[in-house]
Amino acid sequence: MKLLTHNLLSSHVRGVGPRGFPLRLQATEVRINPVEFNPDFVARMIPKVEWAALLEAAETLHLVEVPKGPIEGYEHDEKFLRQMHHVLLEVDVLEGTLQCPESGRLFPISRGIPNMLLSDEETET
Amino acid sequence: MAAPRLSGTQCIAMDSNSQSNYKLSKTEKKFLRKQIKARHTLLRHEGIETVSYATQSLVVANGGLGNGVSRNQLLPVLEKYGLVDALLMPPHKPYSFVRYRTAEEAKKAYVTLNGKEIVDDLGQKILLYLNFVEKAQWKELGLQALPPGLMVVEEIISSEDEKMLLESINWTEDIDNQNVQKYLKHRRVKHFGYEFHYENNNVDKDMPLPGGLPGICDSFLEKWLKEGFIKHKPDQLTVNQYEPGHGIPAHIDTHSAFEDEIVSLSLGSEIVMDFKHPDGVTVPVMLPRRSLLVMTGESRYLWMHGITPRKFDTVQASKGLQSGIITSDVGDLTLSKRGMRTSFTFRKVRQTPCNCSYPLVCDSQMKETPPSFPESAREASQLEQDYVHRVYEEIAEHFSSTRHTPWPRVVEFLKSLPCGSLVADVGCGNGKYLGVNKELYMIGCDRSQKLVDICRERCFQALVCDALAVPLCSGSCDACISIAVIHHFSTAERRVAALQELVRLLRPGGQALVYVWAMEQEYNKKKSKYLRENRISQGKEEGTSSDTAMPELLVEQVPNVGSRDSECCVSSVTDLPEGGHKARTVTNAKLPVHTNRTSFPSQDLLVPWHHQGNPGEGKPGHPAGAHDPGPVFHRYYHVFCEGELEATCQTLNSVSILQSYYDQGNWCVILQKV
Repeated sequence: MKLLTHNLLSSHVRGVGPRGFPLRLQATEVRINPVEFNPDFVARMIPKVEWAALLEAAETLHLVEVPKGPIEGYEHDEKFLRQMHHVLLEVDVLEGTLQCPESGRLFPISRGIPNMLLSDEETET
Repeated sequence: MAAPRLSGTQCIAMDSNSQSNYKLSKTEKKFLRKQIKARHTLLRHEGIETVSYATQSLVVANGGLGNGVSRNQLLPVLEKYGLVDALLMPPHKPYSFVRYRTAEEAKKAYVTLNGKEIVDDLGQKILLYLNFVEKAQWKELGLQALPPGLMVVEEIISSEDEKMLLESINWTEDIDNQNVQKYLKHRRVKHFGYEFHYENNNVDKDMPLPGGLPGICDSFLEKWLKEGFIKHKPDQLTVNQYEPGHGIPAHIDTHSAFEDEIVSLSLGSEIVMDFKHPDGVTVPVMLPRRSLLVMTGESRYLWMHGITPRKFDTVQASKGLQSGIITSDVGDLTLSKRGMRTSFTFRKVRQTPCNCSYPLVCDSQMKETPPSFPESAREASQLEQDYVHRVYEEIAEHFSSTRHTPWPRVVEFLKSLPCGSLVADVGCGNGKYLGVNKELYMIGCDRSQKLVDICRERCFQALVCDALAVPLCSGSCDACISIAVIHHFSTAERRVAALQELVRLLRPGGQALVYVWAMEQEYNKKKSKYLRENRISQGKEEGTSSDTAMPELLVEQVPNVGSRDSECCVSSVTDLPEGGHKARTVTNAKLPVHTNRTSFPSQDLLVPWHHQGNPGEGKPGHPAGAHDPGPVFHRYYHVFCEGELEATCQTLNSVSILQSYYDQGNWCVILQKV
């Protein structure tokens, strides 16, 4: 699971709503996967990123050189874009958990795949 | 445009795209179903494409020379509604075409005559079903094929052997024969090896008849085995003697009684045997004297065969008494007087239950309690658990191997999105679309862990979740796709909820592409695999005892045995929560199992998947193998009829429909969040 994916994930436990974001990340196995750098692509991602959540996740994984937020003229700042590229797309969580901040419900990440299936009771409306 | 409504006993012809929330009565819904079925049959077997807008021309199903309606009966009826430019009545077809001077007049006829009763030349009442067409056009009989798995081997025995076999039968010897006679109006029979019971059309496997098969048959059977005409040694023989005027009602030999291969030797006289497909197509096949009829696979399990009781057969003059199909070439037909025919039908008794590819007509498979249509959210969830999720987990790898070619129009949608778009693929399966456009950030979601594993192997981002509760933030996606997913939800409420979830994910202005299976298969001009024979039968009825053939209709007026007519698509629109209507109650309705190579029996059904059988088995229209040994899984589907997907989308909040089309057996929409 990449951090960009994590940035979009939200708990859908019944009744939690927007308080289900962001999911608290715990990782026991992380891998760095090189991905081809596409500056245009990364630049377009920047406005879509939830920074607080990203920083929190990066902190948990002890990542360094993570920009604290978009800087002026980031679209042309290669250093910035490369750093963001790395954080968003190259860090891969293989094993760990995601926790709903509101309900505490844990979702496992296994072989890089988060399992977000809820039981019938948890989804019943 | 909705047709004006009429009161009384006349049925209402509604535009199937009507957006009215008007609740239809049972008769109206039944009529609509029949009309739609007529459309499908016409398209599938006759290559006639109907249109949903008014034109000058109409096709009149059940109003044809082929089903006993004459010009001077039909024309006055049609002329009531306007000036008839032309009435085309193709010979031997159960339909005709009428062209009015204006589309207005045609519309009048369409509205008034649809479902109307007329009387044919035998004095029988039939219902007409009308549909608009662009022009009067039907496929002339092209290359015809025998039912798959059927073979006729000519002159397989000599005249001397024929004489010997005929003389070897002692008809008068036993009392049992008289007991059997009470079941058989028309013909004499004798059984060897195992007794065949006509009460239940089955054999008593625990009571073999002493003596086995007659000794003289041995040498023939050995010879045929050696020469490859048959693959298995039979252990049951039924000898039938047909005098001219005798016949046998159309039937399928009981699946659970006999193995796949059934062979029949014709002695004494040639005869024409009719093979009937459940969709209504009939193929008459000439069986010459001293020929061996071999039925396997589809011809044995799915097609019915029978002999019409009559004294003359219609045959092809040019072909003499050669085997083959009797075509409808008017210029080449002549009559052949029947003689006394004796058949030796050899079969192998089955010791294990049948597990053929044709469960709808299989008594072994129909014995299992089929699942019912769900009546609550809990039942719906359970049904989907058993007949969707569990199945995909089991078949994941095999399934994935058959899903490798992305559909062009889905690719087109994805490639049209700007660089850097965030896209969710809800129900991504094996990730077929996740890598199509490298400029997108795609996240796949699927309910099946095994399928998501396959996505992961391909280095895609994917997660396991339910399509009704996608764990992505609202408004986070620039676009979504959901390809061949929503048809797995077993209630209208759940299908709407799935669509609503897609819309929730979209940011304002974002677009979603949805594909679902269409009830209407083969919408394009692909040549039908089945014969476009003139006579389309009335389904599983017993053969008649009169000498004249019954006029056979395009649309049956008796319900299909084994099919559960579910409510038409129009009614499902009115049952949506938005419309404020109470959900329909379908008490105790069982879900039919689809038989491949036939039209869908209803909108809610189970479709077999043959594990390790034919890879292409999962989709309708794919050729079925003659004999599939692997385990069969049933997947639940709700197939959509024309307009249903659109209508469902129209009930969603904050959505506008950008496009709506048909693609490769699917109904498709592109939605935009406003």
